This record gives sequence, C-alpha cells and structure tokens, in this order.
Amino acid sequence: MSITFSNNIEALIFISLFLTIVPWAEKIFEYNGSAIVAMVGKNCFAIASDRRLGVQLQTVATDFQRIYKIHDKLYIGLAGLATDAQTLHQRLVFRHNLYQLREERNMKPETFASLVSAVLYEKRFGPYFCQPVIAGLGEKDEPFICTMDSIGAKELAKDFVVGGTASESLYGACESMYKPNMEPEELFETISQALLASVDRDCLSGWGGHVIVVTPTEVTERKLKGRMD
Amino acid sequence: MDLNLDAPHSMGTTIIGVTYDGGVVLGADSRTSTGMYVANRASDKITQLTDNVYLCRSGSAADTQIISDYVRYFLDQHTIQLGQPATVKVAANLIRLLSYQNKNMLQAGMIVGGWDKYVGGQIYSVPLGGTILQQPFSIGGSGSSYLYGFMDQSWKEGMSKDEAEKLVVKAVSLAIARDGASGGVVRTVTINSEGVERKFYPGDSLPLWHEELASVNSLLDLLPEPMST
Amino acid sequence: MSKATVELPPKGGFNFDLCRRNDMLTKNGVHAPSFLKTGTTIVGLVFQDGVVLGADTRATEGPIVADKNCEKIHYMAPNIYCCGAGTAADTENVTDMISSQLLLHRYATGRESRVVTALTLLKTHLFGYQGHVSAALVLGGVDITGPHLHTIYPHGSTDTLPFATMGSGSLAAMAIFESKYREGLTFNLVYCAFVEIPQRDEGVKLVTEAICSGIFNDLGSGSNVDVCVITKGKVEYLRNHQKPNPRTYISSKGFSFLKGQTEVLSTKVTLLEKPQQEEGVDKMEE
Repeated sequence: MSITFSNNIEALIFISLFLTIVPWAEKIFEYNGSAIVAMVGKNCFAIASDRRLGVQLQTVATDFQRIYKIHDKLYIGLAGLATDAQTLHQRLVFRHNLYQLREERNMKPETFASLVSAVLYEKRFGPYFCQPVIAGLGEKDEPFICTMDSIGAKELAKDFVVGGTASESLYGACESMYKPNMEPEELFETISQALLASVDRDCLSGWGGHVIVVTPTEVTERKLKGRMD
Repeated sequence: MDLNLDAPHSMGTTIIGVTYDGGVVLGADSRTSTGMYVANRASDKITQLTDNVYLCRSGSAADTQIISDYVRYFLDQHTIQLGQPATVKVAANLIRLLSYQNKNMLQAGMIVGGWDKYVGGQIYSVPLGGTILQQPFSIGGSGSSYLYGFMDQSWKEGMSKDEAEKLVVKAVSLAIARDGASGGVVRTVTINSEGVERKFYPGDSLPLWHEELASVNSLLDLLPEPMST
Repeated sequence: MSKATVELPPKGGFNFDLCRRNDMLTKNGVHAPSFLKTGTTIVGLVFQDGVVLGADTRATEGPIVADKNCEKIHYMAPNIYCCGAGTAADTENVTDMISSQLLLHRYATGRESRVVTALTLLKTHLFGYQGHVSAALVLGGVDITGPHLHTIYPHGSTDTLPFATMGSGSLAAMAIFESKYREGLTFNLVYCAFVEIPQRDEGVKLVTEAICSGIFNDLGSGSNVDVCVITKGKVEYLRNHQKPNPRTYISSKGFSFLKGQTEVLSTKVTLLEKPQQEEGVDKMEE
C-alpha cells in the first residue's frame, strides 16, 4: 500500500493557520459553510448550491463552486470543508476517467454513488469532512438523487436531498415546497425558492445561488441573486 | 438510570468447575449484560471444545467467544493429527497460550474442565493474566466472590457425581441470589468416562435463599385480569 | 529521483491517511461531524418453520431525521437477511462485504450459504475492529439445518436466541416480546429452554407490534415497519408492511411559484447531443 500524503499537506497548513487565529472553531462542517440541495422533477432533476465560501464568520469568496460536473448528466455537490471537497472531487474525477478509459462509457449515477461511498468509507477512521449530494440522469433518462454522510452511508430518496450547514432549514423548506412530477421550469423556481429561503436563516451560507437543471436534452445553469449579508 | 447500551457485551458471571470421584461437573448462570441491560437471559456460557473438554467463560463475551472458537479449531486439528482425543491439559494450555500472549487486549477469565483416559477428570482455571492453575475445584466471575468460603467448606475429596452436581447447582444459585450481575437459569455439564451430560435448572426451580422472593413468570400474571390486546 | 505520484485505486481495506490531520483538528477544538446513525428498533423471531425479521425505517443524524423511509433489512444471501443498527455506513458496508464473501463461497462450494457461516464472517470482522466498526446486527435465515436467529454486537460477541431485539428501541421491543412470547409446553433443544413456537402470521404480528412499540416509544425510531419472512426456499420481503405514520400536513395543491419569480443573474443553456446511432459499424454476427 502506498502512503499518499501530498494531497493534504496544504490543507494542514491552511487550517492550522486559521485555527490559531480563531481558536473557538466548533464544528468542522461549519468552518466554510455551505448549502446544497437536489430535487427530482418529471424526467429531469435540479441541483443547487449557495456561492459563499467563508472562514467561519468571515466571507472569503462569493463565487465559489460547490457543484462539480462529472459528465453531462451527472453532478455532485460537496458540502463541508472546502479543502476536502476539492481533494475528493479530484479523486472522483480521476476514478471516473479511469472508468471511462476502461469501459468507453460514462458512469451510471447509481454506480457513481457506490464509488463515492466506497471512496469515503475507505477513510472510515479518518474521514474527509464532506457531505456529498449526487444527482444524475440514468441510462433511460430516469432521474437519480442521493446524499451521504462523511463516511459514505448512502441515503437514496425519491423526492429531494439536502446537505451542508443550512440542511436543517432546507429540510423544512423542501418538505413543504416540493411536489412530485414538476416540469423543468417549475422545478427551477421551487428549488431556487427553497434554497434562497433556507440560506437566509443560515449565517454561514448564502450570497446567491447556483442552480443547474438537467433534462434529457439540455442543461440550464443559472446564477441566482440573493441577499449579500 | 444509565443503561449504557453501547458498553461491550460482558458476562458478569458465576462459573464453577468441580472434580469428583470419576469426573468433573461444570456450572454457570445464564446472564449476559450490556451495562445495566440484560442482553441475554438464557445464554450458554459452557462451551464445548472437544468431545471431552468443555469451557466455562467469564469476562468479555466477544473475547471469550473468539478464544473458544480458535481453541476449538486448534484442538480439532490436533485431534486429527494425533488420531486420538486431545487431553484436558492440552486444551487448557492452548487457552492459556492465547490468554497470555494477548493479555493486553483480552478480558477473559475461564475454567477448563474435562476428562481424559490418562489423568481422569481435571479442572484448570485460566484467570485474567493468562496463568494456568490445576485445582480440585475452581470458581470464577463476579459471583465467585460470594462463594469462596462456601466452597472451601463444602467441597470434599471423593464426592459422588450426584453430590458434586448438587453442590454446583447450590453454589451457582447462592451466587445468583447475591450477585446482581449473575442470574437466569443454572446450566451444568458433567463429564466422566461415560461421556457428557448437560443439565438445565430453570430459575423458578432453584432454592430460595435468605429473604428471596419466588419468581413470577410474567408481571401480567399478577394482574387481576389478563390484559387484552 | 522523483517517484511517480499517481495514486492508484486501492486494493481494499481502510486508509488512515487523514487520521493524523483529524486528530490535530480535534486537539485544536474542532469537533468531527456526527455520522448518519440508525437510532433504530430491529427485531427478529423464530417461528415454526422460519424466521421473521423486522425493522423501523428512520435514519437520524443527531436530532435530525435524515431519512424517513430507509431500508434496514439488508440482503446477505438468497436465504439469509440481516437487520442493522448503529452507524449506517458501517452496517451497510459490513453486510455488503460479507454478502459478497458469501457469494464467492457459494461459487466455490456450489452449496447454499449457511447462517453460521455468515455469523462467523461477521463476528470475526467486527471483533477485528474491536468495536470501532459500530454495527449491531440481527441475523436471520433458513438453511439446510433449519431456521436460525442470531444477534451480533459491535465488539464481535454473538447470541443465539428464539427472539431478539437490537438498537435504541430494543428495550421497548423486548418488552413486547417478553410479555407476549409466553412460556409454553414445547421444549426446544436448540435453545435448551421452554418456548412456544408461534405460527407464521402470529410471528409477523408480534414482530410488527414490537417494531411499533419501538416507533412510538423510542425517539430514535420512527416511520414505517419493514418485515422480512424467511422460510425454506422462500423469502417475503414486506417493505413498508405497515405505515402507522402517514403524512397529513401537506396541502392538496402544494406551493406553486410563478415562472420568473426568482431573480436570475445569468443563464447558460447547453444542449446535450443525442447519443448518435452508430452507423456503419458491423453488427455482431453469430
């Protein structure tokens, strides 16, 4: 077994710097702040996230990407510690590339979810501080959404999944706003309103949103205007 | 009340092994607890190792089960290689070996008892650190502290099988009465040149000691009318 | 002299790379997140010619209900199923791992898996991790030697019982079993105890009642009742056998938002190519 340390050394220095400045850091998931949600519509899905990157209460960036594209019809949002999210994303892209080379096709969302779960569970006793939200269209364009905890316990849902520091308010918003079988346009409005309403009740996420709606024929990516406080 | 259901499964136990004229009698209670919760009220703490050797287990249930699994496996191989039954001493020595070599990781106090054609009935005690002691009789587990004086007084050289069995049941029932971590039923195993005989004494058939109340099958029996569902 | 730094997919086993960093974080007062737990009620029961397994369907993350209808009865082999309580990732992965080992074992031997085989594999795995892999399991199945029910604790100890409960709701469920599983006349040799063995429907009813007791009296358990009945050569997986907590608070119309209500800063539309029919490629011929 090879020991791979290189990826996390920057992370170590980065975090230890900030920790000495602000020693009252409480929970690692609340370090950068995030809000991610995915919803299923009629033959389509939407995945949305906020755009803030903070270091505790200080906002560092307002155009941060939390949703990563794996292929045209498969996206993953990574909530939690940003450094781990980026590392994890790189590893997932690497594994997906290997799969593409060997199989000459894209991964099915279910397969990808199992891959993410395996990658996370491998680090059961020293996890990446990330909560993934996966959304994709399957072979017959049936939507698939799923979330996990930081050690890869899959949670499949038919309606919506949420993640990040705003997850509590997102649960509430989605629970009341979601309807089954929404068309792409309505799905966009619903997920956007759920996201914006939720991040307004979370100090650590916000600064607008980033919504991706995927149908079998097109991908619509929108940047949302939101509160800037 | 602190139930502490996450506590490792341990057997606050009373176990006993007695030699008599022609063989041995092993005895044990049947309570397995996690913290304050009785996880199994009818467990079998007298485990078979070979046709003629049995083991009384006390301490961590996981540790003693794994030890007995290994020793049973070793003894099976040993029996095949030898072409004849393993002696009690060999079995006890294997227990001691595992107990001693892994003493830092194990919490296991055991009593090995059996019969072989060379020496007859023998009892070996293997307490916590991994020592081995051959004794005419041996007691173990949390309930044993209530039994030392009684056993010193009652055990006699050259008892009959019947006397020995009665002594074992009496001893375990005395310990059950005083020790909160022991309870349930009494199980005995008698090993001699004839073979092995298992006996089972339900909790309500045991003698009632000082100020003990008779057991009731179910609290529902105390109600004037049976509860209808 | 630079080494190739390409990280190849691991061959298996856990990876402890991040442990030192995470310990450092904990020492600096940053607490690690809580994992998805199944604060659970799971039960099992032996009846005349098989076993009944039961589980609730709530998954929790701290005080939050993370999943209202999750599956806690896991597949092990065609004739063996396993209920899991504890950390969700652990129960899921442990049962999956052992299930694949059982499949390979079946390929090698050409025989039906036995419940004791699954039991031994599970307990040795859990014992090896000394309780750190926190999976509390109720394993049930029917094999050539008859119906079997076992409980397995995170530290690797096992019990063989005619009825068993596990998880945070185990006390509530055990209360039902202990009061309704009356002592009878049949002396059962496997358990060396007097036990009245119920019929199938009675078994399912008792299991459902025990799970409901967990659902209503234990905060960590909730939602619906899953039941799995295993008999010789037959498995009935009754997903959501009972739904004692239907959703009542949604309005029939639901929310509807007008189009264009959300303020959008920018829109980017990407058309996806239809997967092209591969023409001119020779069809595979026999």
